[in-house]
Amino acid sequence: MADTESAVFRIFIRGTIQRVWEEITRTDREQPCMFNMVLHTDGLRPGGRMQMRTKSGKFVGVVGDVLEFDPPRRYVHTFKFTNFDDPPCKVIYELVEKDGGVEFTMTLAELPKGTRTAKQMTQGGTMIVNTLKSVVETGRPSFGTRMLFVLFALMEPFTPKSQRTENWPLR
Amino acid sequence: MMRDEEMDAVFHALASGARRRILDIIKATPGCSVNHVSAHFETSRIQTLKHLRVLEDAGLVLSEKRGRVRVLHFNPVPVQLIHERWTTEFSAYWAGQLTALKYRVESTEESPDG
Repeated sequence: MADTESAVFRIFIRGTIQRVWEEITRTDREQPCMFNMVLHTDGLRPGGRMQMRTKSGKFVGVVGDVLEFDPPRRYVHTFKFTNFDDPPCKVIYELVEKDGGVEFTMTLAELPKGTRTAKQMTQGGTMIVNTLKSVVETGRPSFGTRMLFVLFALMEPFTPKSQRTENWPLR
Repeated sequence: MMRDEEMDAVFHALASGARRRILDIIKATPGCSVNHVSAHFETSRIQTLKHLRVLEDAGLVLSEKRGRVRVLHFNPVPVQLIHERWTTEFSAYWAGQLTALKYRVESTEESPDG
């Protein structure tokens, strides 16, 4: 295997395990904790495919295969950015009920060392777990994060054509 | 928001030069072992383990048993929560300009050809 690295992010969230699970697996609307993208899938079960698409549905940001799906405790999928030519890495979400809340751990594994994927993933990790906490505890992301989403929406027309949804069929 | 006692644990953990160095080491080598960390110190492995325990209790270090070894990762989330409590998007930008200036000046002062 090529040289890889890993990163782990853990946060305590005051809320129910169902609520946290629902936030990271919902397909009915955008997921604020995942940079406001929408989860598309042909089935959340081992062997299923998943994609994170922009809110408009026009572009695909991330593609992956579901490896493990054990509600409401563990969800593992491969992860590949559609705009980089890097090999896929793995994302592991683990939820544990603790002290009247949920200990949420996100592990980024098999990150190809020194790639743009590794850089973006480790930089984005803190924002993912923080926004998840904020959404479950207060009902919405922080002000700064909401501003960022406005910016994302404005930038969408400048997304490379190669990331258009028609170029990334689920199957 | 972080509870007061959670934040106390983070500040207590960070109020030690040795423990801050341990965080530097783990951050630079994600997934490293306890031996890797203790090799950087003259003091005993027991002492390193004690420090690691304090860092773990504060949530700054996450340790996981993989087979026979424990692997260590730095968890940036507690520090980020503290940062967010006292910064706004505006102050983060301008304070960042000042720290960037500091790093720039200090790094050129250190190099011999300035």
